Amino acid sequence: MSITAETAKAHAHDPAVLCCRAEAGITIEPANLEDPAIFDDLVDSGLLNLDGCLTIEEVLGAKLTKTCDSLAPLTADVLDGAKAPSTPAVEEAPAEEAPTVAAAPVAAAPAAGGILKIHIGEGKDIDLQIPVGALGGGAAAVEVPAAAAPAAGAAVPEAEAEEKVVRSLTRKHFNITEVKRGPETKIEGTVLTIREGIEADVIADQELVKDFHLEIITPDKYHTYSETIMDVQPIATKEGDSEIGEGVTRVLDGVVMMLTGVDEGGVQIGEFGSSEGYLDENIMWGRPGCPDKGEIFIKGNIVVQEKTNMERRGPMAAHTAFDIITQEIREVMKKLDDSLVVETQELKQVRRPHKKKVVIVKEIMGQGAMHDNFILPVEPVGVLGARANVDLGNVPVCVSPLEVLDGCIHALTCIGPASKEMSRHYWREPLVLEALHDEEVDLCGVVFVGSPQINAEKFYVSRRVGHTVEMMDADGAFVTTEGFGNNHIDFASHIEQIGMRGIPVVGMSYCAVQGALVVGNKYMQYMVDNNKSESGIENEVLGCNTLCPEDAVRALAMLKTAMAGEEVKAAEKKWNPNVKSTNVELIEGAYGKKVELVENEQSLPMSQKRKEKYD
Amino acid sequence: MGNVQILLRQHVGAPCAPCIEVGAEVKKGTLIATPTGLGANIFASVYGKVAEITDDRIIIEPAAEQPDEFVPIDVPEDASKLDMVKAAGVVGLGGAGFPTGIKLGINLAEQEMGELDPEINPELPKDFKLDCEKGYILINAAECEPGLAHNIKQIEDECDKVIRGIKYSMEITNADKAIIAIKKKNQGAIKILQKALESEPAIKMHLMPDIYPMGEERAVVRECLGVNLTTTQLPSAAKSVVINLETACKIAEAIDDKKPCISKNLTVRGRIKGGNEAHVFMDVPVGTSVGDLIERAGGIEEPFGEIIMGGAFTGKATEPDAPITKTTGGIIVTVEFPDLHGANTGILVCACGGNEERMRDIAAKMNGKVVSVCKCKQAIENKPGAPLKCLRPGNCPGQVKNNMQFKKDKCEYIIIGNCSDCSNTVMASGPKMGLKVFHQTDHAMRAVGHALYRTLKVSKQVSQDIDF
Repeated sequence: MSITAETAKAHAHDPAVLCCRAEAGITIEPANLEDPAIFDDLVDSGLLNLDGCLTIEEVLGAKLTKTCDSLAPLTADVLDGAKAPSTPAVEEAPAEEAPTVAAAPVAAAPAAGGILKIHIGEGKDIDLQIPVGALGGGAAAVEVPAAAAPAAGAAVPEAEAEEKVVRSLTRKHFNITEVKRGPETKIEGTVLTIREGIEADVIADQELVKDFHLEIITPDKYHTYSETIMDVQPIATKEGDSEIGEGVTRVLDGVVMMLTGVDEGGVQIGEFGSSEGYLDENIMWGRPGCPDKGEIFIKGNIVVQEKTNMERRGPMAAHTAFDIITQEIREVMKKLDDSLVVETQELKQVRRPHKKKVVIVKEIMGQGAMHDNFILPVEPVGVLGARANVDLGNVPVCVSPLEVLDGCIHALTCIGPASKEMSRHYWREPLVLEALHDEEVDLCGVVFVGSPQINAEKFYVSRRVGHTVEMMDADGAFVTTEGFGNNHIDFASHIEQIGMRGIPVVGMSYCAVQGALVVGNKYMQYMVDNNKSESGIENEVLGCNTLCPEDAVRALAMLKTAMAGEEVKAAEKKWNPNVKSTNVELIEGAYGKKVELVENEQSLPMSQKRKEKYD
Repeated sequence: MGNVQILLRQHVGAPCAPCIEVGAEVKKGTLIATPTGLGANIFASVYGKVAEITDDRIIIEPAAEQPDEFVPIDVPEDASKLDMVKAAGVVGLGGAGFPTGIKLGINLAEQEMGELDPEINPELPKDFKLDCEKGYILINAAECEPGLAHNIKQIEDECDKVIRGIKYSMEITNADKAIIAIKKKNQGAIKILQKALESEPAIKMHLMPDIYPMGEERAVVRECLGVNLTTTQLPSAAKSVVINLETACKIAEAIDDKKPCISKNLTVRGRIKGGNEAHVFMDVPVGTSVGDLIERAGGIEEPFGEIIMGGAFTGKATEPDAPITKTTGGIIVTVEFPDLHGANTGILVCACGGNEERMRDIAAKMNGKVVSVCKCKQAIENKPGAPLKCLRPGNCPGQVKNNMQFKKDKCEYIIIGNCSDCSNTVMASGPKMGLKVFHQTDHAMRAVGHALYRTLKVSKQVSQDIDF
């Protein structure tokens, strides 16, 4: 389709191809040119040969000397007065930025990270469907600024360098080395005892819960078959009257709550994309949302009423009932003597007023069905007091970074275990932690926004996101999502709404091969792929493709680059995992520190399912 | 002659209200229905008796004798020319049907030039000015729908009436110039006009290439004046009024003869016994049935596909008992439709051709299963439900994206309703992608012996020299 002057400018260095027949004697203008966004497909299918083709900036204003047909590449021999090409060189950060940027070594940030670039012309009233195949993987590429501009650190007035601690949160860790059953729930030393017969209370709590079994999984029992893992939760409680995100939180180390389940018909809760199987073959150890190797699982397997496995009420009942056990442990924890504390950790919410202000927008699922999240319970990852994201209408909810790290999200994720963020993920959310600790940025907060089922509602909430971020006066934003497919529509729309307000946005999602983006817009220039799987797929291994510290580091580097006005190179056409490794090397070089990369499913024993379905 | 059915709505606007009783005797020119809102008077087109009045039509049983005399329009002695045009119920006879009395109610001398959109007028200098003192009457003599011949015949037969109509239109609207937009291929008519215009310095001709569309109102403005209007702008934004050639003649008849608008010129063509030459009928009473006209031309040559009322691009399927209206220009009997045997078919809807409903009608008649519907990028729906308008009529915006969509939707065939230029673009990639292309006019073009709309072989530019 013909392009506008604006699109022509954006694609100045792309090939110039006539969209339609043009007669000798005309002056080439944008309306004569085809949109370069579709050339890859045309070249692939042999409809277009770009050999010798001039660029758009070269041909604009030139005179056509020969009548050429639609899709003819414009070459020097059919044009009179073509311009000389300018170099598409990397632009340095504009000079006028220097005084203000001086305070922040942001200008020194290396360009890094991956980008998937999907360009949609003017982006107004255009309903574009881009074939997934056309995009290949939603992967990344990188632009390397030749050298990082030196930061004028010396010029920083001292006042500007001051950090402000808004509030802090203390985590008191208690170690557990053994979990057993007994007549009452108690903690003695490092031994947690869970009351025998508590299963009956769990079943009685919710009408939809038809059966329940509690298992204590110690490391020697990791090779145990399990139904699909619905959630992994830290066991934590607030001390005294303190609320989520401040005061003191007590947490048990060495043990996690794990909820698994099926319906009465034996159907996995979250069939098609579930993690049932041997635990040691289906858990990506050490992911933020997963158990760490060596931890004991208090694993509750719930059977919900037949056919409620894919309805919102089934999983909600399962989570609510299972919390009875956690709550009983929390009550015991509250009474523990401080002498049992093995480690005290202070998390500070720091503001850096003179640094670039950034916000993290985390898209969480809210399609109904099992895709919901309980927001802001009274206890960390509890149920009581929380509001379901779907009931809140999926609208943006602003929380402090410490609320995130203190378990303000109780996640009800199911389908697509590799990319979904379990409750524990938020407890250890890598992007929040990295941004909070990064002295070059000022993390102002975290916005949770749902991903509603209906398209009209999607745009209803994404516009709220745009306004929310706008009124924060943020210099940059991250938008993260979990899962892939449907939620990418919201994801793209959130990025667009923030981007159209002139705020650079880094998008983070699992994309790779199977999760390639289905929609896009011109603001999706800075993208980081959370994929870790070998083949770029949703491999049903719990937490495999979720956001990890290495992704957070890349995203931060990319946002700093974008905020400094530097260019990030467009993505390669097809997913190429080397882009990520190149970026990581660049970051290591620029910062002089090693970025530890996590392992993927190849480090696990091969499961029958993986063997048959994936690898 | 069968019963004459006069529709109460044959113009843009609201249906007229009957002002006659069943059983009443009527003559040619008896006022039988008057506007209820935007509209134009409707008159009996024949001598006879009102047989029936229904919600949408007045049915007249014609008398055996049909003298040429008619009842002149009822206007006061000192009525203005504009009032006479209004009273005569003249509407745009080219097909649009906008009441001419309202269109001419403009003072072009005082009309401000509209704001021109620079996006679609990239070559226009900033200080662009029209080459006129007051304004233009632009006469649409493009006769753009392929196969029709009655407009050009009228120039050849009644050139003086055409000129009178133009001059009256200029007088009413205070235009100081007029341009007749005509395709260069009509050499005979051009020669006749050339001679007639020797003594009319204010009236010029603009010669146009033989591509579709040239007669679209904004295409006429662009071709004659070099100004691109947006889809919501009227020609008045270029200090102009565009009038169809036949309408200009009706204006002259209303003023000179006090003759109401009761008849229509039209072309009957296609699968007609005796060959596919154009049968031009002048002054056919409005309300005459399609079947009567086909019979007058020689009758249908079986087998045939469908009967189109109007042109091949913008007309619709009709039946023999349907009546013609003030806006009917053509009756085309087509060849049979090909049978796609239920194959996956895509339709490409464009402002220049049939709307989606018409395209689906054709797809169904071809036994194609519609699995994909695309719209030309330039086809703009000004208001929800309003007819599509092309942003730059006759200049393609590119179609390869639509073809890619058709491929994605697994189409084997596509049916397109595009103009010459866009059809050419579709052809540049469609067949290479494995899409078999039909044009919505194929069955009509085959029937009238016109080249099919596919690849464009002629230039969109013609010289203005009368070099023949």
